[in-house]
Amino acid sequence: MVSGPASPQHRFIDPKVLARLSGLGLHARMPMIGNVSGHHRSPIRGSSLEFAEYRKYVPGDDTRRLDWRAWGRSNRYYMKEFEADTNLRLCLIVDTSGSLNFAAGGVSKLELSRSLAGTLAYLASRQGDAVGLYGAGTKFHTAISPKRNAAHLRVVLDHLAAMKAGGETGLAECLHEAAENISQRALVVVLSDLFLEPATLKDCFQHLRFRKHDVAVLHLLDQSEIDFDFDRPTRFVDLEGGAPIMTDPVLMGRQYRQAITDYLAALGTVMREAAVDYHRVNLRDPVEPVLARFLIGRKPKRRA
Amino acid sequence: MSFLQPWLLLGLPLIALPLVIHLINQRRHRSVPWGAMLFLLSAKRMNQGMARLRYFLIMLMRMLAIAALVFALSRPLASGGWGGLGMTKPDATLILLDRSASMETQDLQTGESKRSTALRKLAQLLDNRRDGGRLVLIDSVGGEPQAVESPRALPDLPFTAATATSANLPAMIERALAYLDANDAGRADLWICSDLGANDWDAESGRWSAIRDRLVGMKGVRVFLLSYPALAVDNVAVRVANVRRRQRGDEAELLLDVSLTATGVNSQAEVVPRQVPLEFEVDEVRSVMEMDLDAREALLQGHRIPIGTGLRAGWGSVSVPGDSNLQDNRFYFVFSEPPARRAVVVAEDPRAGEAFRLALSIPTEPGLQHSTGVLPPSRAGEIDWEHTGLLVWQASLPDGLVADQIGQFVEDGRLVLFFPPGQADGNGAEMFGSRWGNWQPVRTEPARVSWWRGDADLLAHVGSGEALPLDELNTYRLCALESRGTVLARYEDEHPLLVRVPTTRGGAYFCTTLPTAQFSSLERDAVVFYALLQRALAEGSRSLAAASQRDASTDALADHEPWELVAPTEDGPSVSEWGLRAGVYRSGDYWAAVNRGAAEDEAGVTPSGTVEGLFAGVTFQRIDDAVGSVSPLAREIWRAFLVAMMLALILEAALCLPGRRVEARRFSDFAPVGGAVRDSR
Repeated sequence: MVSGPASPQHRFIDPKVLARLSGLGLHARMPMIGNVSGHHRSPIRGSSLEFAEYRKYVPGDDTRRLDWRAWGRSNRYYMKEFEADTNLRLCLIVDTSGSLNFAAGGVSKLELSRSLAGTLAYLASRQGDAVGLYGAGTKFHTAISPKRNAAHLRVVLDHLAAMKAGGETGLAECLHEAAENISQRALVVVLSDLFLEPATLKDCFQHLRFRKHDVAVLHLLDQSEIDFDFDRPTRFVDLEGGAPIMTDPVLMGRQYRQAITDYLAALGTVMREAAVDYHRVNLRDPVEPVLARFLIGRKPKRRA
Repeated sequence: MSFLQPWLLLGLPLIALPLVIHLINQRRHRSVPWGAMLFLLSAKRMNQGMARLRYFLIMLMRMLAIAALVFALSRPLASGGWGGLGMTKPDATLILLDRSASMETQDLQTGESKRSTALRKLAQLLDNRRDGGRLVLIDSVGGEPQAVESPRALPDLPFTAATATSANLPAMIERALAYLDANDAGRADLWICSDLGANDWDAESGRWSAIRDRLVGMKGVRVFLLSYPALAVDNVAVRVANVRRRQRGDEAELLLDVSLTATGVNSQAEVVPRQVPLEFEVDEVRSVMEMDLDAREALLQGHRIPIGTGLRAGWGSVSVPGDSNLQDNRFYFVFSEPPARRAVVVAEDPRAGEAFRLALSIPTEPGLQHSTGVLPPSRAGEIDWEHTGLLVWQASLPDGLVADQIGQFVEDGRLVLFFPPGQADGNGAEMFGSRWGNWQPVRTEPARVSWWRGDADLLAHVGSGEALPLDELNTYRLCALESRGTVLARYEDEHPLLVRVPTTRGGAYFCTTLPTAQFSSLERDAVVFYALLQRALAEGSRSLAAASQRDASTDALADHEPWELVAPTEDGPSVSEWGLRAGVYRSGDYWAAVNRGAAEDEAGVTPSGTVEGLFAGVTFQRIDDAVGSVSPLAREIWRAFLVAMMLALILEAALCLPGRRVEARRFSDFAPVGGAVRDSR
């Protein structure tokens, strides 16, 4: 039986969603280096039941791991090694710039980020993984290092609930900072609308990948931001505090759509080149299918 | 362009309506919190070029559509390439109508002449314009401004009917300018309707420069020329150049010189040789003959038509088949017995007087009656001015009553020949702007005539084409002459022998020597002397005949009255048109045939460039129309504006159509795009 968050301030986590997603599990796409035994592969050989490889015996090796059957067949000493299972360090980076206040269908991007991040944190924590939270405004205003105890999860969820969006975006600088400061391999999940130049983002994600982090991006967009269907002159107020723009969308619609299409295409290229697990999330979509798709996509393929 | 509902043009400011709506829309904006400003800024940068142009074009199309609608509702009038009517309404509209015979060239299919086409179109145009101010007609015949109530009445007015007259365009324009000056008309439109006949326009006249200067100085006066310069194709004009009645014994006949002119051709190459049937009608007897026309002009000389001996005076006509100008298809002529040729010689030198008498007394043709009286200057008052055809004056130039009588004598169409007095001292009286000077000294070598005018006038070559033997004339004494006349013959030292002074009718000649032997060989050589005097007598006696050919004009029949119309009896001219249209008129025993002037057959058209030059600096517009053309000078073109409006709206709609939609990725296509992660340890 799965138990949901009890605190009323954690309502952004739906227990029913948690219950339905609990069977999927959160997997890393690459080996992780954890502190304790867990569900994820490790680059270090260990004592799990999963056979890894043979290697020649060198003096000093534990003779208990010698494969006597192989010695019997070949009269040579081989060490039999097994995979080590370890836990995952999940680092949730939530963009809290002003543009995350954009709402559609009664849900703002920040609220959706909160639901997605909270659910992921809960799922990770439940399977024994460490969870950390980073709030990215103009700079990191929240930085909670990954830990794996239940009390820590509450801290994470409390901070998540308390997050407010505002100000200009500093996501690029925050991602670079995260790449430098997260010491070990981790699964870094970025929740943002990514309203930055693709070239800038490319540097950020390559930096994270260089630090051997498994990077996933949940890109929050609304269909109205893509379609730009306005039929009369509109004053667009910048949620990040910039100067408003007064324009006739009829005249600019084509150019706007061209710009965002170019942007999305360039962003897709950046994500592919940086091997980022990229998911575009519609603001009006419910949380469950979004996360189900995310989790299923990360499930390791069975080895033949 | 003008408008039938010009007040609707007040709606033109509505053109700004799309702009106003656009501005209002700009103010009616709503505010939307927006996060994706990155793309808005990018789109705004992209929107600088073609999109902005497209937007301006959309606004332009909307404004054009409204403008076209306003114009269409204002019911615009337009003519082919004629935007000159403009928006301003004139205070007066003057129509200068050329009613010359050549304006009667008609379109054979519609039967409309140049004159009636011009009147119809002008009436239609002015009727459509409505507010054209006072409407005044100046026709080429009367020349007096006539107020016209309504443009519709123009084609039916008696002042606009066909005539056989010639026009004097400079005089008409001068009259129009005088009218404008007198009436202080302010803005005025001058409409000249003419076929640009060279003789009617007289572009070489010095009056044009004065006219142009006055027009340039009159602000608000615009000149519109409605011209019909196209020549009539295959038009043949017939004319009787000369008619004489000759009686020999108990046989009488008429001798006619008939000319045919193909008026619609400009060069010999355009002439199509053909035979033209001529129909002669004399004393209700008709005869027909074929005449070859293989050049632009053909002449039939001395055509004989026998008549009864009892027909001493009468009339006849020559006709060609109907063609594009009915005015020149029939030519009337009248004839009578040749008048008695009476001459009076006033000579202070009896020998000279006798020489004149002898030369004048010998008839040139049998049957002609010549009588010559010789009088001394002191008895000049006894001259029978009424029945005298030629006066030879060899004495000091007269003054007082006699001078006046001689002036009237010439005005009546007679001739006077002045010869110098024996004692000329340069202080004598002046006549016809001429005065005798001193006698030159006797020459040891006789003076020789070096040049004389042989194509016309008294010294013209004889009928066979041979020149008079003036070069054989010896002159020993010459009298100086101060004169503004035209030299007809001169000596090698440029001294004139014979001078003609210009007069409206008749003629006045000055000869600078005397016929007697001590002065010249005129009397001795006789031929030149005889031809000179006989020609002068014949010419002077012409006005004494009981029949005369006259050019149609208002004063063609002014010298006699009452007149009665003899021909044509059917569709003849009304009383007010007598003298203006071709016909035969009779006043007692006197006959007169009125026909179009010879210049009307010349068919010269004033070149376009010349006409432009005549109105250089003047607000002038010209439209060349075609006779019988049914297209109006100005027609309503609101349909064109409606079409323009629809085109503008269609274009606007096309510009407003969304372009190829840039399809953004749908969220249904969501799929992780992250590449495979290398499993590195």
